Amino acid sequence: MALQDLCKLQDIFQGDKTTDRSSVSLGEKTSSNYISGLPFSSSKSLLHFYIPVAEYLDESPIQFGQISLIQSSSLSSESSLLTPSLSPSFPFTSSPSVPPPFPMSHGTTTLAFMFQGGVLAAADTRSSCSGLVACPASQKILPIHSHLVGTTSGTSADCALWKRILARELRLYQLRHGRRLTTRGAAKLLSHMLHPFKGTELCVAATLCGWDGGELDNGCHDCEVTETDHSDKRKTTSQKTDLEIIADASTENVFVPKTQISTKKSFSGPSLFYVCSDGTRLQGTLFSVGSGSPYAYSILDQGVHWGLTVEEATSIAREAVYRATYRDAYSGNCVDIYHITSKGWTRRTREDLKEEYYREKERRRQEGMTRLCQSKDMKQTKMS
Amino acid sequence: MALAEVSGFNPYSEFCRQIFRAGQTHLEDRPSHYSFGTKTQEFAVPLGVEPAGFLKSCNSEGGVSIDLNHGTTTLAFKFKHGVIVAVDSRASAGRYLASNDVNKVIEINPYLLGTMSGSAADCQYWERLLAKECRLYKLRNNQRISVSAASKLLSNMMLGYKGMGLSMGSMICGWDKQGPGLYYVDDNGTRLSGRMFSTGCGNSYAYGVVDSGYKEDMTVEEAYELGRRGIAHATHRDAYSGGVVNMYHMQEDGWIKVCKEDVSELIHHYRKGMF
Repeated sequence: MALQDLCKLQDIFQGDKTTDRSSVSLGEKTSSNYISGLPFSSSKSLLHFYIPVAEYLDESPIQFGQISLIQSSSLSSESSLLTPSLSPSFPFTSSPSVPPPFPMSHGTTTLAFMFQGGVLAAADTRSSCSGLVACPASQKILPIHSHLVGTTSGTSADCALWKRILARELRLYQLRHGRRLTTRGAAKLLSHMLHPFKGTELCVAATLCGWDGGELDNGCHDCEVTETDHSDKRKTTSQKTDLEIIADASTENVFVPKTQISTKKSFSGPSLFYVCSDGTRLQGTLFSVGSGSPYAYSILDQGVHWGLTVEEATSIAREAVYRATYRDAYSGNCVDIYHITSKGWTRRTREDLKEEYYREKERRRQEGMTRLCQSKDMKQTKMS
Repeated sequence: MALAEVSGFNPYSEFCRQIFRAGQTHLEDRPSHYSFGTKTQEFAVPLGVEPAGFLKSCNSEGGVSIDLNHGTTTLAFKFKHGVIVAVDSRASAGRYLASNDVNKVIEINPYLLGTMSGSAADCQYWERLLAKECRLYKLRNNQRISVSAASKLLSNMMLGYKGMGLSMGSMICGWDKQGPGLYYVDDNGTRLSGRMFSTGCGNSYAYGVVDSGYKEDMTVEEAYELGRRGIAHATHRDAYSGGVVNMYHMQEDGWIKVCKEDVSELIHHYRKGMF
């Protein structure tokens, strides 16, 4: 899809829009259904979205298809709407809010944090639909490319779609510019893509975890890093938001000093951003999203610090997700853990938290028994 | 107050004669009100007024939005050596911080404690009323009231005014003949016995910490540390909780106040070496 776009980019929209959809040639079929949605970038990488015609949306999708006679007359005028001169129609101007066919719920626990070994992302696997566990084995951490992973929270469908769109855009960027877009850039891109849908019922809350930089097409040199390193650190400090300064105490973290060409003072190392469909975009070192996030936050606040080893970090992440699933009804089943390093992301095998529950129960029982025995021994030695 | 009632001395008899019709000495019980063991109904709702209906018109569906904020974190847990009660000390009125130094634990008597969350006025009033009832019980029956009975009295008071807009989430902790006791009572009439509870909008943060560190047979020092950590981490993340940690330890012969520590100092201590 990306390559196709790249090759046939010129005249996708200057083409014959006024003709019927069915008569468009095969090569352009995929893009002819789309109307120009967003004006934010050059014509080559427009985001194409089918904005449904208002008449269809007066009723709930469940009654979709039962078109009355009155509406059918307006169908003929539908094709005239698909002209390139149609100004970008934002969703909320084209239709009133549709009643959802079934009640949706956004229950999940996802978390991500940075440490010396990279970025760790963890999430549960329960997909709930307001009281029903729709899927006990869903995947909430979606890889976007080899060095970027995104956790998803909110509506699963929205998250999956937007992740794919983001992956496509990042791939296009990489092909055009010869290097990967940084996590910061990806966060900005996602945030701007979601902005037109602000105020609608789209709900996406994602944390993008990635490892930036280091690799260039012409190779990279480990130059004299002392001065540029300091300037990197200063630059990153000033980039951080006020919120983050309050949240974390020290900013003198040493990242892997792989610098690029001296004119470009670009950052390289682990990177973590939170992007939300209401427009929030935050850089940070620790995030947890979802209905189970408060439970996870307190565990993470206790244990996460920069100098963790990979095993310690995994066990803290697992404990945090476990605690959240212990108390939150909308989180549960298994836990997925992804670890992102300079070499890319790696995924641990999915672990069932039921095992963790039994192990903890056993441990508590053991402790109770040993203390009981100890007190018995003490009593015996006292008596004798 | 209690002694006056028991002995029949009534300094308000003049006042009563003005409210009631001649010959009537107390308010009539109507079937919709539950009389919780006192001779007179505490607040009889005047005829014709319907609080529940009025409140319904005041919520978001009716176009008006009067939401009460329950900003606090309180937690309590039972363990081998008694009950630990830990609360924060922040009182908020919407976005305004009314006070950072409120005591959210009511010392009902030397062997019973109640925590407050929700509307401060409701909690203070009803728990003082509970204190009066507990004292009356002791005078009448010559033995201490059990934690179970005390929490039942409070929960029945709440049920009497169910739906009328009270807001109270409280934990009644004590030590009676059955050992340490911990009950959660709230304005819906819920009454639950349990090993560990946390109330208020910061409760989820406290749950994570206490769940992971809890052991039935902790030492007393470990339990104090767990209570402190629970409140400290909750106040760190929740905007409506803060101030100081007030901690009490309910032992067999009564409660002791353990500490009153500033939360920001605690957090700095715990997060040393972090980001």
